[in-house]
Amino acid sequence: MSTRSIEQEFTKGLWDDNPVFRQLLGLCPTLAVTGWVINGLAMGLATSFVLIFSSLVVSSIKKFIPNQVRIASYIVIIATFVTIADRFMAAFFPLISKSLGPYVPLIVVNCIILGRQEAFSSKNSVGRSFIDALGMSSGFVLALLILSSIREVLGVGTFLGLQVMGTWFKPWIIMILPPGAFLTLGILLGIALHIERKTKARK
Amino acid sequence: MSLSARMIIVLTFVGLLSGSFLATVNLLTKERIELNRQREIEEAILQVVPGTHSSQKLYEEKDLTVYIGKDKKGILVGFAIQASGIGFQGKITLLLGTNPSIKKINSLKIIDQKETPGLGAKINDRKSFLKFWDNKDCSNLLTLHKPAVKTQEELGHSEINTITGATISSEAVLNLVNSSLNRLRQLEKEGRLSSEEQDVN
Amino acid sequence: MELVAIFVSAILINNFVLYYFLGICPFLGVSKKISSAVSMGLAVTFVMTITAVVSWAINHWILIPYKLDYLQIVSFILVIASLVQLVEMFIRKMSPPLYQALGIYLPLITTNCSIMFLALLAALRNYSLAEAVVFGVGSGLGFTLAIILMAGIREQLDLADVPEPLKGAGIALIVAGIMALAFMGFIGMIK
Repeated sequence: MSTRSIEQEFTKGLWDDNPVFRQLLGLCPTLAVTGWVINGLAMGLATSFVLIFSSLVVSSIKKFIPNQVRIASYIVIIATFVTIADRFMAAFFPLISKSLGPYVPLIVVNCIILGRQEAFSSKNSVGRSFIDALGMSSGFVLALLILSSIREVLGVGTFLGLQVMGTWFKPWIIMILPPGAFLTLGILLGIALHIERKTKARK
Repeated sequence: MSLSARMIIVLTFVGLLSGSFLATVNLLTKERIELNRQREIEEAILQVVPGTHSSQKLYEEKDLTVYIGKDKKGILVGFAIQASGIGFQGKITLLLGTNPSIKKINSLKIIDQKETPGLGAKINDRKSFLKFWDNKDCSNLLTLHKPAVKTQEELGHSEINTITGATISSEAVLNLVNSSLNRLRQLEKEGRLSSEEQDVN
Repeated sequence: MELVAIFVSAILINNFVLYYFLGICPFLGVSKKISSAVSMGLAVTFVMTITAVVSWAINHWILIPYKLDYLQIVSFILVIASLVQLVEMFIRKMSPPLYQALGIYLPLITTNCSIMFLALLAALRNYSLAEAVVFGVGSGLGFTLAIILMAGIREQLDLADVPEPLKGAGIALIVAGIMALAFMGFIGMIK
């Protein structure tokens, strides 16, 4: 059982256990859709929806699921919410759905979600699981926002489609292309680890 | 209750629950999604065949679909061809609008492309590429004008502007348009473009 | 000709790792040694090919005829999970040392986005069975290629002086970025 306070349950997802920067999970969508801030945001919110609801369901019925079939059950539950998110987006936000394309269904294999069910929701109360999911989701959205902001601003000079860099700036197109994604994330990871070491040294 | 029985029951239950949930969601969103898809096509057709009041799909084959636009009185206003072909980096899908005699291009719309941003992706840019297609005479084969120009007047009668640094993408669009026009004319000759037998979109 | 185009583009031009960003977790996790990279790559290719066939079958014989395409995500992932279980059992029986070497990464193939993506894309593009198989083999080989290249580079990097914070994932991603840059040179190969 967890001995953290409710507050810590939430904040750990933002930095200490940030799913992307510390746990190195969910990297596929992180790299793929962060070319544009609006895409990163949409993907983050969709993933949050799936994570939160999956965690709620799993922690509610954890007592009834035999150990041997737990992974299969988690997968079905997660896949259900992913399909719901995918359909809703296609129906009500067709433009975003189109630009995110097949990456929305890929939320089902986002290691963060399955990982959370296995590591937390299956062993904690509904309340705690909800807070944990909330924290992890926020951490994920945060990571996506940071990455996509850097990529969009440096790559095309806009933020959420609005021009933010003056005409003196020659955009680094490479930032919205695959190499830019890898490089940015690699450097961000390095920075995150560096900060971590510095704060540890100080304590 | 034995473990195996419990496993099967739980899995079946979860499966059924999931299935019914999804079936419900599907019912709720199916129409909306279909509507979005249709509206997207109709809006696009309206853009390339101005004056369209209602549109209809006439013919479909792999990578090519032909629509017609009719005005309020049901008179043919023009054709819209949706065609796909390989560009420089991926598939390009465009929508071409012509007048009823297939001698003039109303305008060109790029529906989907994955060309290099800043270069080939400029095929979707009005100023550098698309505006040169407006009201283009296509009774003769269209060709590419190199180097790129800034105004319509500098182009020959059947010439299209290139994008600097993106010749391959420009050529891909040109070839796609030329082959689509040929196919359209061929279909017309074969009498496959008659609109009486088809259902309304 | 179409089949060759699909095959080549899957390996080089639209490489699943370096272009579509798929399979990053195993890509970073198993690429430290060339030998494990090869095993992982082949295992993934194998699962991908079979998945291509089975998902095509399910899609064309069950989902589409009965208008159940909203069940695509659920059914595909279940197929993949089961296939991975089977492959795992098979490897455990056939070659215990290989099983040890791959360790936790074997079950992780299930969450390897590349397999799910493959199934979804083949369904989306309405590939025929032949096209789907070729796509599966090609993408699997593309993944294997990327992971072997990465392992080769990392084995060398182990001897180099990498700044502390970048060790591990950081430098791996930067290397991936450079590789992605290099692979961009393959664009335009298929006309």
